[in-house]
Amino acid sequence: MSLEFLQAFKFQKKNSFIHNLDPRAKLLFSIVYSISGLLFTELVPLLVLFLTLIPLIFLGKMFKEWMRSIRGLSSLILIIIVLNTYFLSLAYAISMIIRILIMITAFSIFFLTVHPNDLALSLISMKIPYEYAFSFSLAFRFVPTIAIEAQNIMDAQQSRGYEMKQTGLINQIKNLFPLLVPLIVSSIKRAFNVAEALESRAFGTIKNRTYYYSIKYSVKDWMFTIYLFLILIISIYIRIQFLLMPEWMLWTLPV
Amino acid sequence: MSHPLPQIMLNELDYSYPNGTVALRKINLNIYRGELVGIMGMNGAGKTTLIRTLNGLIRPSNGTVNIEAENIEPKSIGELSKKVGLIFQNPQHQIFSNTVAEEIEFSLKSLNLDKEKVRNKTIEVLKTFNLEKYRERSPLNLSGGESKKLAIASTICRDPEILVFDEPTLGQDAKEISFFTNLLKEERENGKTIIIVTHNIEFAMEYIPRTILMAKGKIIADGITKKVLTNQYLVKKSSLVLPQTRKFALKLKEIGIKCPDNIFSKVEMKNFLANYLKTKLTEV
Repeated sequence: MSLEFLQAFKFQKKNSFIHNLDPRAKLLFSIVYSISGLLFTELVPLLVLFLTLIPLIFLGKMFKEWMRSIRGLSSLILIIIVLNTYFLSLAYAISMIIRILIMITAFSIFFLTVHPNDLALSLISMKIPYEYAFSFSLAFRFVPTIAIEAQNIMDAQQSRGYEMKQTGLINQIKNLFPLLVPLIVSSIKRAFNVAEALESRAFGTIKNRTYYYSIKYSVKDWMFTIYLFLILIISIYIRIQFLLMPEWMLWTLPV
Repeated sequence: MSHPLPQIMLNELDYSYPNGTVALRKINLNIYRGELVGIMGMNGAGKTTLIRTLNGLIRPSNGTVNIEAENIEPKSIGELSKKVGLIFQNPQHQIFSNTVAEEIEFSLKSLNLDKEKVRNKTIEVLKTFNLEKYRERSPLNLSGGESKKLAIASTICRDPEILVFDEPTLGQDAKEISFFTNLLKEERENGKTIIIVTHNIEFAMEYIPRTILMAKGKIIADGITKKVLTNQYLVKKSSLVLPQTRKFALKLKEIGIKCPDNIFSKVEMKNFLANYLKTKLTEV
């Protein structure tokens, strides 16, 4: 079990066009691409949508991390291929793969380029109470920590003879207990510790708090937003008028 | 140490983590059967990485790990864990069963023993570790020291020939440390090889005969603990502090009391001071 793919969702400080965008614009980006991806099951529009994402990966200087996330989720991709091919067709399976690639990429770009603090700030600017915004950003902050902990738990159990290889569904589920129980217990313990640490630093005592950093929607954010709305409007238009589209767009794989 | 061949032979080990951090550089190390070896050094020196190569949790990028003259590369962690018992720093990382007894039984299951043997062994181990009274209790409610004991018990019950401890004295009170040192003594009498990663310099001075000092992924010293840990240059290089008795001896020298350089343990210091005072008093 590799938890390496979680790295692909961990913020990395870099200086790039995507990194410098407002977090709200990037949140909109993830949502727009996910909705657009979900609108289609046909190969060509999904592929076009996916291709529009590629330049953004390079603009954000994150090709390596992106590849890692795809590699980490390869087992999920394999399951999608097998199930869809078995129940529907290979052509449909391939469309679904591209759809999931679009969604992984959209969210991967978001989490790789948005600092947890900015995430909280953008939520607050959308009138979400600070406590909730903070918990949300804290949750993301702890994803890599929990990934490391999961690896340590696995190492500790393997060191006393625990083996992952088990046959049969029930055995496989039972086999997860030695990993999941310590992980859940230590996560709950950590949650209590964090809560106590926060309270001992007077978290939540003042209603109207001020912020050290502020976020601002600049011209390039507005331009990016307009681009996103164009993508969304075009996607919806194509979906509604799909049968009137040129023939190449209706093309499907012959399998 | 009459055995001609070392039980553990590390040959030119290199290892880098996927994020590029170099953890081990050209490690060569021999450990003989029945030895008690300490591994010390600052955080990030590569100590934990080094011990993880011993049971295959980490596979070196270069070099070989030989245990009992066999290259461990083709062997699974499961197979290796029968020979090398690694006991981690945080016992909470392995506790998951409903009862303390089940926790021990889980470790024994992978040895393919019959039920009767598993039960007897569990009872025996719980007795050795003074955990009998908690037998049917949830291991999640044990105190820090007791859960550490349980973690150690659940590895020792598998009877591996090599025991590797990561920071066993961390957060332990005096009573727990003395239990641990007794355990070390017993296991050594049983012929076990023991490797201990620790920051506790006083503990190392008192109980560990041989110490390996690491810095930046390299072994910078390997020898008799009393010599390695009183070498000011080495100690400084690996961000450790001198043992109290050594610091005390240096202070005594500063104020003009001639304290010999071969005083390492608290007992030796006590005897020296007693003699010194006696001679001073008779002079008066």
